[in-house]
Order: sequence, then C-alpha cells, then structure tokens
Amino acid sequence: MSDNSRVRVSIVGVVIVALFASLLARLWFLQVGPDRTQDKLSLLTERTIQTASPRGEIVDRNGVVLVQDRLSWAVSVDRDLGPKTRVRVLGQLSELLGRPYKDLLTAYQSKAQSPLLPAVVAHDITVDQQIAIEERATDFPGVHVIGLTVRSYPAADKFHDAGLAAQVLGYIGSIPADQLNRYEKKGYQPGDTVGLDGVEAAYESVLHGRPERITVNVDPRGLQVGAPVKVVPGSVGQTVRLTLDARVQVAAERALDNGIQAARKMPVSATEPLPLKATEGAVVVLDAQDGSVVAMANYPSYPLKWWVGGISETDYSFLNSPLANAPLLNRASSGLFAPGSSFKLVTALAMTKYNMRGAYFPFPDTGSVTIGNRVFKDDDGTAHGNFDLQRAITVSSDVYFYTIGNSFWQAWNLTKQAIPGLGLQAEARELGFGAPTGFDLSESPGRIPDPTWKQQFSNLINKDPAAKLANGQWYPGDEVNLAVGQGDVAVTPLQLANAYACFANDGTLLTPHVGMGIENPVTKASKAITPPPRGHVQFDDQVTRPLMEQGFKGVVSDPSGTAYNAFLGVNVPVAGKTGTAQVNGKAPTSVFAAYFPADSPKYVVVAMVAQGGHGAQTAAPIVRQVIQAIENPGAVAG
Amino acid sequence: MATITNAATKRRDASRAAIAHVDLVLLALPAAISALGLLMIYDASRAETANAGLSRLYYVERQGVAVMIGVVAMLLIATVDYRRIRDAWPLIYAATIPLLLGVLVLGRAHGGAQAWYQLGPLQFQPSEVAKVALVIAIAGYCHQHRGDLDAWRLAVAIALAGAVMAIVYAQHDLGTTLVIMVCAGAVLVIAGLKPVHIVVLLALAATLVGAAVVTGKVQSYQQARFQCFAGKTSVTQNKDQCYNARHAVDAIAAGGLSGAGFGDGPLTRNGYVPEQHTDFIFTAVGEDLGFAGGATLLMLYALLAWRLWRIALLSSDFFGTLLAIGILAMFTIQIFENVGMTMGIMPITGIPLPFMSYGGSAVIASFIAIGLALNVHMRRFS
Repeated sequence: MSDNSRVRVSIVGVVIVALFASLLARLWFLQVGPDRTQDKLSLLTERTIQTASPRGEIVDRNGVVLVQDRLSWAVSVDRDLGPKTRVRVLGQLSELLGRPYKDLLTAYQSKAQSPLLPAVVAHDITVDQQIAIEERATDFPGVHVIGLTVRSYPAADKFHDAGLAAQVLGYIGSIPADQLNRYEKKGYQPGDTVGLDGVEAAYESVLHGRPERITVNVDPRGLQVGAPVKVVPGSVGQTVRLTLDARVQVAAERALDNGIQAARKMPVSATEPLPLKATEGAVVVLDAQDGSVVAMANYPSYPLKWWVGGISETDYSFLNSPLANAPLLNRASSGLFAPGSSFKLVTALAMTKYNMRGAYFPFPDTGSVTIGNRVFKDDDGTAHGNFDLQRAITVSSDVYFYTIGNSFWQAWNLTKQAIPGLGLQAEARELGFGAPTGFDLSESPGRIPDPTWKQQFSNLINKDPAAKLANGQWYPGDEVNLAVGQGDVAVTPLQLANAYACFANDGTLLTPHVGMGIENPVTKASKAITPPPRGHVQFDDQVTRPLMEQGFKGVVSDPSGTAYNAFLGVNVPVAGKTGTAQVNGKAPTSVFAAYFPADSPKYVVVAMVAQGGHGAQTAAPIVRQVIQAIENPGAVAG
Repeated sequence: MATITNAATKRRDASRAAIAHVDLVLLALPAAISALGLLMIYDASRAETANAGLSRLYYVERQGVAVMIGVVAMLLIATVDYRRIRDAWPLIYAATIPLLLGVLVLGRAHGGAQAWYQLGPLQFQPSEVAKVALVIAIAGYCHQHRGDLDAWRLAVAIALAGAVMAIVYAQHDLGTTLVIMVCAGAVLVIAGLKPVHIVVLLALAATLVGAAVVTGKVQSYQQARFQCFAGKTSVTQNKDQCYNARHAVDAIAAGGLSGAGFGDGPLTRNGYVPEQHTDFIFTAVGEDLGFAGGATLLMLYALLAWRLWRIALLSSDFFGTLLAIGILAMFTIQIFENVGMTMGIMPITGIPLPFMSYGGSAVIASFIAIGLALNVHMRRFS
C-alpha cells in the first residue's frame, strides 16, 4: 500500500470515529443529558386519570340496604387494536359471551367511556367465561377481565320486588353531554358516573366518593409514559339513610299493584261494561308528625338493575315507549292528578274560615243543584237529606260543596276581592297545594286554578282577542269544580298527603322528605336531615276541625260512609276521604286519603289511580292494605 | 527430506494457514448483533403481530432463517480465495444489472419503493446484494488500474457506479442509492483519486441532487421527510411525514439511562413507533434498554468498523484494502444514517440497521460483506 493510500485510510478512520462519536453524543443527550426533558415536553402531555370511587350506600330507616356497590366482572378491550383485530376480537367475544356483536361494538365506541382507559364492552360475565378469556389469552389480544363496582339492589332481591322504590332511588349513568360543563366545574371528568334521577341524583354530592386522581404523562396516542406525576388519594362515598321503610314500601307497591290489577277486572260503570284501564297510580305513606316519607310507590314500575353496567338499547327504548307509560316517572311527587272529593278537606276549612256556611247548618241536599245554567249532580245520586259538615264529609255530598263553591264565586263576582272571593284558593295554598312542597327529590308544583291563571291560560291557547276574553272568564262552574277537586285543579299524591298530615297534626305544614341522614361509612359520623316545617295553619279547633275529624272517621266507620265497606274488619281507627274525580272522556281518578290512628295520627296514606273508578272502589282498598301492612309488619315476607 | 508436493496439498496447506488467521472478533460480532437483533424484533413486533393477527414469533422466525442463511453464505464466501472473486468482478457486475432491472418489471412495491422480488412467501431485495456487488466491481476495476486512475478511467468507474445507482433510484429507493454513492466514493478516494477530482465529484453530486429536487424527480414524500427533518414544516402541517421522526425520538428519549426493561417500554409495547421492527429497530433498543443498551450496541458497531478498518490496513493486496474500505463505508453510512434518523439528526430514509433490522436480503448481504472482509483478513499472508 502506498503512503498516500495509508494516509487516506487513516483519514477515513478519523471520519468514522467522528461519526460514531456524534451518534453516541446524540444518544447521551437524548436519553440522559439536558435534551431529554425538552424532547419529552414537546411530545408528552399531562393527563389526569380518575379511578372509580366507591359510591355510597342507600339504606332504609332501619338500615336495610337498598342500594350498594358490588363487584362485577367485566370485559374490557384495549383501544389501540387495529380494525381487523378489533372485528375478530369482538366477534369471538360475542360468541363466547352470547351477546350481540352490535351491542359490544356500541359499547366499544361509546363516547361516554373514558378514552384513556380500555373500553368496557360487557358486564357481569360468568366465572366460566372469565376462565375462557384468560386461558385463551392469545385468541383475545387486548382483552382483559376487570373487576368493576356497579350498583346492586339487595332489598329488591330480598323482597322479590325488582322495582323496589325504583323511582325514588333513581339510577346512575355517565354524565350526559349537555351537563358535562356543570359537572366539570365540580371536578368531574367525562365518563364519570353520576346519579341521574331520584335519591342517586338528589344526594349525588354525598354519595359520590372523591375519586383517586392520578396525573400521568401520556404520549400523543394517550398511552401512559413513566411513573405517575401526582397522586391525590380519594375517599369513599357516604351512606344516605332514607326515611323509607323497606317493608312498608314493599307493602305499598304490592297493594298498588293488587289494586290496579283488581280494577282492571271491574267494569267502568253499570252502563259501560268495558273494564277500567287503571293506567297508572301512586301511593304515599307520610309520617304525619315529621314529614318523613315512609313509602312512595308508583305504578308502572321497572327493575332498577336494568341500568347496571349501562342500559341495553332494548330496555331503554322500552322505558321511553308510550306502551310502558313512563315507568321512570316518580308519580307520587311529580304526577298530576285531580284530587276529587279528597279536596273537600280544603273546601270545608275555607267554608267556615270565610263564613260561607256554618258547620252545623243543616244543608238540604236534593241530589242535584243548578248553578248558572249547569246542573251539578251528586256523584252517585244517593246522598239526600239535610247535612251538617260532618255528615256531608262522611257521605261525600257533592251538592253541599258545589254550593260552597258557588258562594265563593258569588263573593268574588260581587267584590272582585281575593278575600273572601278566592278563599278556596287561599286555603289550598296554605295547605301546600299549587307550589312545591320542598321535597328533596324532583316534584311538580301542581295547579290551583284562579281567575288570573285562567285568563293567562286563555291568552296562551287563543289567538283571537275576543276568544281570549271569553275563554278567560272565571265562571261559577270553575269555582264549583274546584270545590270538589275537579276541573283544572291538579295535585300530586305527595301534596295531598302533606295537606292531610297538616290537618292531622293540627296545623304544622311539614316539609316532606325522603332523606333521613348522611353517615360516613368509615368514621361512622352522621348528620340527620331534618328540614324545618314550611309553616303553620291555624284551624278552628272549637267546631270545624273536630266536626271534620268526625266526618273523616265516619267515611270509614259509619255504615253510610263512602269507604265503610272497603275498611270492614280493620281494627285500627282510620280517618279518611274518598275521591272520585271526573276526567273528560275517561273513567274517573280513584283517590283515597287517610290518616291513622284516627285519634293520635301517626301516618297519612294516600292512593291515587288514574282511570281507577270510584275512590272506594280502587284507592280505598289499596290504602287499607297498606295500613294493615304497617299495623302487622310480619305480614311482609322478606 | 525430499519435498514431494502436489497442487492439492498446497491448497490444503494454504487453507489451513488461512483458517489459522481468521479474525475471530469479526466472526463473533455479526453473530452477537444478530442475536440482539432477533430479541429486539421480538420486542418491537408485539403490536404489529397482534394487529395483523400473526403469530407472536412470525418475524423472529423468518429473520432467524435469514440469519442462518447469512452465516452459511458468509462461511462459503470466506472459503473462496478473494483474489478469485477479484478477478471475476466483471462477471459479478454483469449479473447484478439484469437482477436489478428485473425488479422494476416484476417487483412488488412497499413503503414507497418498488424493490422486491416476491418468491412465494419470501421476498428478495436485489439492491441489498447490489451494494456488495458494486463494491467488488469498483474495487476490482481500481485494482486493475492501480496508481493510474486518470480522468477517463475515473469516468468508467463512475459509469459503473452510476448505472447501478440509476436503476436503484428508479426503484424509488433513495436511501440505497445514496449508500451506493458513498461506498463508491470511499473506494475511489482510497484508490488514489486526485484532490481536484474529489472536488469536481463533490460538486457533481451536489448538482445532481439539487437538479433532482428542482425538476421534481425526488418523490414528494422524500422531500417532505427532509423538510420535516430540517424543521421547515410544522408538525400539524405535515403530520404523517413527521410522525415517524417524532415518535422515534420520543421512544428513545423515554428510555433514559437504563431503559424501561426488555418488553416493558410502553411505546414499544404498544406499537407507538411505526416500522419499528424494520427501519426503526433502534428505538426499541433505546426505549427498553436505555442509554446503556444503545451505547453498547453502538460500541459493537464501532468495534466492527475498527476490525474492517484494520483489515484495510493489513490486506496483502490493494483490492483487499479497497474492498474492506468499501464494506466499511457501507456499514458505517448505514449505521450512521439509520441510528441518526431515529434520533432526529438525519432525515428519514428506508435504510436498515445492519444485522438488527428485520429484512432477510439485508441480513444476508451484510453477512456476505463480512465474509468478504474475513476472506481478505485470513489470506493476508498468502
């Protein structure tokens, strides 16, 4: 080799050393030196992952567990599968689990789940399925079996009542898109589970545990890089104790169901042989002294466990179909019914308060009365004779109360003064009608019609100014209808129960509530929920109230009382009032409101069934069953 | 003692002598790096095999077969006296050209390049072998005209290289074209290229590359990759082209000093770096084995380069020196370009990392190249 070549080979050697040195230097700076952090920062972003936090339990007033978290074995699938693999894996899972491929794909693609975690595609898999997935891991790339906490309903299983307090307890689910903003301000993240209805929603802030938050570095694909940056430990949700008594609740639901099934076998009337439709109903059992809701039953109902692990499409569309008739609705607090004669509680109190008629005045009921150009008849046409207030209540004389309504209208027509003209409305509002009761779950305010409302309503539905005026007139018939709880008046079963509680406890208008206390499951510290009363109503304790009490007792105990037959053989003294509210084009709403024991009232029980016929026919037997169950708790098996 | 010899005995003696002088370090290095390569291919193909529904060992098995073929080819090449190969250079060169041309007609496209023969389940990339063949040819030609490399002969040498480069370039394989250019250039420089010619050639190369870009002969994705490397394009504008580069750097940076541990790097495990078992295999080393592993691998390559450089100095003839330099240049430029692009200091091209990247043709060609170098080394005294 020439010297020249030797020099050139040496130069090549130097060049090669330089190249390798630069690679090594770059590697050092990238992995160990100062460039490292810089490169990481340019590509990695911080994200916070929240672990599931155990949600608090919901128990009844005696500690019976109504709702709790339980472990569910679920299948999750990684998000970074290629399209072909995904189809294969989901197909094989569908075969193994016996669930439709479409359901698995829908769950996989659901936006409601966190994009940072594997998608949960199936809940509550069996042990055999777990083993199959884990043993055949190579057939199921990216598939994991994970333990999740989901809601379970032990009391529903215990009492064999799948829909136990379904509308009261409510359900949980992922934060709806339109509420994401509101929840994010409170520290929630997309995909978090929150209470969406009932107690689960109303007590979300205490039931929801503070989730453990782990801040991690993620690369642009959302995969974690390195150890967590920050970990904030979470806490478990608190226990909510409800005023419900599971046994009474079950009894109320069974009584309501029995009553409705029985009504559906009865003809609408003597002239109409088709059976009653008895489409929907509700029962409220209220503590007459403190306003706590002991039971709140709804018909139709549905099994809460449908929501566990995300509701199926079939179940969801059923719940929202007209066929199902809104089983999600808590009719006891949000359903609007005409109270019928049970509203005579208000009319009777207003009558003496505004001096429309003396309580002892013997009013002649001839079976019908003509007011204006309309004839108002007694419901069954049998109540004839001279009645004082007590008797008018016991036999439910409509003419007696129609004429009271007319007297109020006359007073209003002459003076155009709210008092005494609209004394009926004033009394109704004093007893809590026409406004929210302050209940801790969602509720409807109901409606107490008056001239102002009627004019506004007319303005709303009419275009022609003349028609607005004509249809907005406050006619005698409007006031007469109100006096017997028909026409435009609408109340919730809860309002009716609360009004009777106010009467029964001699004047305290309570705040009905279903929450009894909050308890920390770890420290056992507890806080009672005792909403203050909404007001006090002064009754005439000398004459009116005692007479009415006798009247209400007579409804049940006097052979001429409207619910005498329905309560034959009940040992506890009960006071109550039937209601048969005429509804245009439909069978009447069957209503019964009662409190017992009659002499030292403890509970108010209200039953309302739409298209359920006479009050004594459907609602009274339901109330009777509930009262018997409360008196004889052993009767409810569980 | 009477010396009765015949031709057969002489050859046996010669080959015994040759085996005694084999470079054991150079023999061991490719085997060691290939073994690491198989491990890293296993590591880096996790997501790829899962997504394609392939067996977990699919790539490892195929690469293993290629390594075995490569080792056999290396040993076979080493047994034939390299001077016979030297004299056969025109034949070798003549055989390479139709092989390269054929792929343009019959070949199969992948990753922007049309450079593969599909032989049943196997693929064969002739340009890998052509690199070695051209080094032999240029070295052979320069050996013939030793010390007498005038302008005319230089032009012939450039034509030899240029023809191969043109065909490989026509296969849209820019990376291999550049590797061939560097190899040919290195051989020519050692062969005694005059300084003035070096300057002219550099200017020519620059003009060619510039002209190719200006006239649109460089594919747009190649331009985009280079723009991305040069930082001319923002990440959002040119997501796809910069994707590989960013993710490769990211994976290596994630490794740190000691790495995430074999099979534990989240980016590698989840297939975050595309083409990771082939061109971007170094990112798997970087993430899972860290600086410790990456530096060790670079040291192994440096050791390999040193042995090749040493052979260039020790060779008994000029051809051996030129051959060793050509092979040295081939490995060095591939290592520098490949590792450099994964670390963001070189633009992205489709050049495999010798003995590491998945790809049978490249592995076999690399073993053949080592076989040639061993050959020169073991016959340095004969």
